[in-house]
Amino acid sequence: MSALRLALAYLRFHWVRSLVLILVAALIIATPLGVERLIAASEARMTARAEATPLLIGARGSRLDLAMAALYFSEDSPERLTMQAAEAVWESGLAEAMPLHLGFRAQSAPIVGATLDYFAFRGLTVAAGRPLALLGEAVLGAGVAARLGLGPGDAIVSSPENLFDLAGVYPLRMPVVGVLAETGGPDDMAVFVDLKTAWVIEGIGHGHEDVLPAGAEAGDIIADAALVAFREVTPDNIDSFHFHGAPADYPIDAIIAAPFDDRAATILRGRYLDRENPLQIVEPAEVVGGLFERVFRFKSVLDAVVAVVAGAAALAVGLAVFLSLQLRRREMQTAFRLGGRRSTVARLVATETVILLCLAFILALAILLMTEGSMAPIAAGLVAAA
Amino acid sequence: MRAALAALFMLCALVASAAEPLKVYAVNAPLADFAARLGGARVEAVFPVPAGRDPAFWRPPLALIAEFQAADLILLNGAGFASWTQKVSLPRSRVVDTSRGFADRYIETEGVTHSHGPEGAHSHAAVASYTWLDFRQAAEQARAVADALTRRAPDAEAEIAERLDALTADLSALDTRARAIGEALRDVRVIASHPRYQYLARAYGVEIASLDWEAGETPTEAQWRAFDHLREGAARVLMVWEAEPAPEASAALTGRGVAGAVFDPGAASDAQSRSFIDRMSANLDALEAALSSM
Repeated sequence: MSALRLALAYLRFHWVRSLVLILVAALIIATPLGVERLIAASEARMTARAEATPLLIGARGSRLDLAMAALYFSEDSPERLTMQAAEAVWESGLAEAMPLHLGFRAQSAPIVGATLDYFAFRGLTVAAGRPLALLGEAVLGAGVAARLGLGPGDAIVSSPENLFDLAGVYPLRMPVVGVLAETGGPDDMAVFVDLKTAWVIEGIGHGHEDVLPAGAEAGDIIADAALVAFREVTPDNIDSFHFHGAPADYPIDAIIAAPFDDRAATILRGRYLDRENPLQIVEPAEVVGGLFERVFRFKSVLDAVVAVVAGAAALAVGLAVFLSLQLRRREMQTAFRLGGRRSTVARLVATETVILLCLAFILALAILLMTEGSMAPIAAGLVAAA
Repeated sequence: MRAALAALFMLCALVASAAEPLKVYAVNAPLADFAARLGGARVEAVFPVPAGRDPAFWRPPLALIAEFQAADLILLNGAGFASWTQKVSLPRSRVVDTSRGFADRYIETEGVTHSHGPEGAHSHAAVASYTWLDFRQAAEQARAVADALTRRAPDAEAEIAERLDALTADLSALDTRARAIGEALRDVRVIASHPRYQYLARAYGVEIASLDWEAGETPTEAQWRAFDHLREGAARVLMVWEAEPAPEASAALTGRGVAGAVFDPGAASDAQSRSFIDRMSANLDALEAALSSM
C-alpha cells in the first residue's frame, strides 16, 4: 500500500515526465491497432461495394481501371464503349444493364451519368429535393452537397474539358434538384446526372437558338457557325435540345450488369470470353479481392515498419526508465540507509511502471474509442482516394 | 396444417396480385389500348395526355414525369414520337420501345440543316412517327407490349398470349381491308391535311401528298392555292383530314369536286372511347365511303 502511495507521489511530482511516458506508450499501443482497424474498415467498405456489384462490362483493357472507375469513380478512366453494348445486354434478356458515363467533373467531384435504374440498384434515396426528372438536372451525393454547401435550388457547373478548346465541350450549368441520403460510400462524393445530360456535357446533345427571323418560313433557315450551343437547359430551350448520331453509338465508360439468375450470369460471362471481343466482363469482387491481396502484401511491409518503430519507441521508453533510475540513484541510497530493502525499492519501481502502463492502456483505449466514429468517414475517404 | 398454411399464403398472394394491377403508362392511345386489351384486369393502362393535346408534342409536367418514373412499365412508341421522352429521366429497366424491332424500317422525313462548331453544316433527319398506321407494324408493337407484360407478369403468360392472338387477328383483318383500299386508290391523287400517313402510304401502296393544315380551321387563300397546285392534272382527288374539317373547308372541297374523308391517326385519346381497332375500322369505312362517292 505504501509502495503504491510512494509510486503515485513520485509520478505526480514528476508529472511532465510521467505524462510523456504515458503518451508515448499509449501511442505505441494505439497506432498499430488503429491502422489495423482502419484497413479492415476500408477493406470491408470496398469489398461490400464490389460484392454488391455482380458484373461489370467495359472495353477490353485494364480490369482494375474499369472496376475502380465504375465502383469508386476514380479519375483513371477506362477505355470507352458505346450504348450498343448496354442494349445488347438488355436484348439478351440475361441481365439488367446500367450504363455509366464517367470522366467529367464539377468542382472536383466526379459527374456520374446514369439511368434511374442505378439509383434503385444502389438503394440511393433522395434526402432533400426530388430525383432527376428533366434533361440538364443534377442530384448531389451527401458528401459533395456538404462540401460545396449546395442544395436544391442551387446550381453546379461542369468543369471545362479544355480551357483553350473554344469549339469543344462547353461547361454546362446544372440546377441541383436533389441531395441524396448519406451512404458512406463513393456515391456520397459524386454529382449524378442523367446519361443524356452527360452526353449534352460531352457535346453530343445540344440546343439551338431560334434563328428564324420574324415572318420567315421554316425552309428559309440559313444557319452557320454563329449558332449558339446552350450552356444550360432551361424550360424555354429544352425543346430545341437534340442529339447527334445513332443512340447506339453514344459513348459510355462502363456497364453494371445485374444478371437475373446464376444461369444468366454464367451465360453472360461466356459471351465475353473471346479475346477478339473488344468488350470484357469482370467480377468486381474478384478484381477488388486481387487488389487487396496486393494491399496486404504492402500491409505486411507496413506492419514490419510499425513493429520496428514500436520496438524502437519501447526501447526509448525503457531507456528513459533506466536513465530515470540512474538519476534516482541518490534517492535509492537514501531509501537503503533508511532501512529499505532492495526488494522494497524494486517493488516501488515496478509499481510506478505498472501504473504508467495501466494509464497508457487506458489512454490508448480512449484514443481508439474516440476515433471509432471517424473511422468510417476516414475509410470512406481512403476508398474514394483509392 | 402446413399444406393449409401454404394454401392460405398462396391465396393471399393471389388476392394481393389481383388487387394490384400493373401500372402501365403509354405515350399514345394505340399503345395504351394494346396494353389494356392484352393485360385485361392485370393491367391498369394510363394514357395521361389531356384531351385535345397532340401526344407527339405534348410535354408532361413534373408531377406526371414522377408518375411515369414510378410506373411498372412505360410504353414508348419510338421513331421520335413524343420527343419529351428524350428529355426526361426514365428507368430503362421499365421502358419498352415498341418499334425498336423494326427501327431499320423507319421512314426518314425532311430535317433541318444547321451548323455549329468546326464540324460544318449538318442536317437532322427526322423520322415519321405514326408507325401503327401500317397495321403489320402495329401488330409488331402489340407483340412488344405483350412480351413486356409477360416479363412483368409471367403467371399471366397464357392469357396474354391468347389475347395477343386475337388482337393480331383483328390487326390482320384491318391490314387486309387497307390493302384492298390501297389498290382502289392507285389512280386517285390523295392529299392529306397533315403529314401523318407516311407508313399508311408505304404499307398500302398509296401516294399521299401532305399539306400542313390545322383541322377545324378554314384554310387561307394561299393554302388553297397550294392545294390546287397539288391536285393539278388529277382526275380523281381524295382529301384526307386527320379530324373533322371546318364546314367552309368541306364546302370548298365539294365545290372543287374533291372527295373528303376523315382518317383519325388515333394517337390522341378518343372522345368516344373507342378501341384502336374500332377507330381504325371507322377510318377505313370513311375511305371506302369516299371512294364509292367518287
